[in-house]
Amino acid sequence: MTIVSIHADRATARKVVWSGDRPKDPIETSRHDGDAAMATGEDDKARFARIVLPHLADAYSLARWITGNRTDADDVVQDACLRAFRAIWSTADGNPRAWVLTIVRNTAYTWLRKNRPAALVGVEDLEAVENAQAGRGDAEAETPETALIAKTDSAHLEAAIAALPAPFREALVLRDVQGLSYREIADVTGVPIGTVMSRLARGRGQLIKTIGRRAS
Amino acid sequence: MTRAMIAEDPTRLVHAYVDGELDPANALALETRMATDAGLAAECERVEALQRLIRQRLPREAPPAGLRARIEASVGMRRPRVQPTWRALAASIALTAVVASGATSIVLAPTSLVLAPERTEPVREAVVAGHIRSLMAPQPFDVASSDKHTVKPWFNGKIPEAPRVVDLARDDFPLAGGRLDVVGQTPAPTLVYRHRKHLISLTEVPAPGQPNAAPVLRTVDGYNVLDWTDDGVAYWAISDMAAADLDKFARLFRAASPDQ
Repeated sequence: MTIVSIHADRATARKVVWSGDRPKDPIETSRHDGDAAMATGEDDKARFARIVLPHLADAYSLARWITGNRTDADDVVQDACLRAFRAIWSTADGNPRAWVLTIVRNTAYTWLRKNRPAALVGVEDLEAVENAQAGRGDAEAETPETALIAKTDSAHLEAAIAALPAPFREALVLRDVQGLSYREIADVTGVPIGTVMSRLARGRGQLIKTIGRRAS
Repeated sequence: MTRAMIAEDPTRLVHAYVDGELDPANALALETRMATDAGLAAECERVEALQRLIRQRLPREAPPAGLRARIEASVGMRRPRVQPTWRALAASIALTAVVASGATSIVLAPTSLVLAPERTEPVREAVVAGHIRSLMAPQPFDVASSDKHTVKPWFNGKIPEAPRVVDLARDDFPLAGGRLDVVGQTPAPTLVYRHRKHLISLTEVPAPGQPNAAPVLRTVDGYNVLDWTDDGVAYWAISDMAAADLDKFARLFRAASPDQ
């Protein structure tokens, strides 16, 4: 259990308590930037409106891709926003979108662990899953032509992305749907850039083959 | 070093290459290799095709209508949202009517001229309802013309002041026509613009005395709604197109000269 003092406010000292099971949580590791913000006279709500609210659509989209349904995504985004609000002084102004997405992602996995443990592939099983998936994909499907990829309809594409293993899916969504750089994806998902690269390559490879299988 | 990297896993590098994440030396080396390796070049094309597919076909879904309001309420930015009652609606109509009539506006205290955020909610809902209704009608406008010199005079005699109409055809937002919407009980001029296959309704609601305000985006029932205030008129732009495109439309509209 760690206790982090987020911001010693003029009137009230706020403290936020988190259980210590999220080592890469930006709320715990990001630097204290309250003084700079204090100088501008911005209050909690104004800061929240400026830093978090503009990224609500991205937050909801990521939550939906991770949890796989709208109701859960709705809950996750509300939880995440509340956490972001409580920690609003713990982030610098550098990259609010990546900060918000990191909180949404961590909240989503915490939420899944608690409510839908079956939907979650633990990080420890990941290598086995990656190898099994990669092996199976290679054996079963022919790699489709470019023209075939272009003919895929929305529903099949959505289903094929949803069927990807979680780590591949989140890398792909962050890159190809939300347009984050490899560096940002590495920060949001807490893995090295090399891992981001290989997850993207394998996720896309698998997606292309799934599309080919459906089409043929 | 570069050679070694390429030899190690060229397929993986193709993805980084397509994403623009390779350093120039490795990018050049990969391009050289793809020129002779048909398999690798094909992989590159497939990745690009997949990205195009995701951009064009993957449905974009706006957050549910009430999510933002619930979040704002949960952090104390506003009271939990209540459905607008006829009373609130009537109050806003009365205010709009009084303000619009002009002659009586001097008796109002200056503070009452600025609509509080919750006061604008009935306006927003009326404006969105107008847009949705227009999409269900045989055609979304009462006067169909891409010529502003036809659309603008059509409003003569129907409303006290002619709306601001600008020509944005050059920027791929051609005018399609105009109609009268009713905001509360006040007729409000609405222009209809096109952008590719999307329609944009732009409703102009008189708001004398209100300060100019930059566009604010909200999502209502899956529609993007952008509102801003210029020179005493509140503009409401509604469309199902992407927020970025709607924002571009607003920028062009505000910057354009009506006298061209």
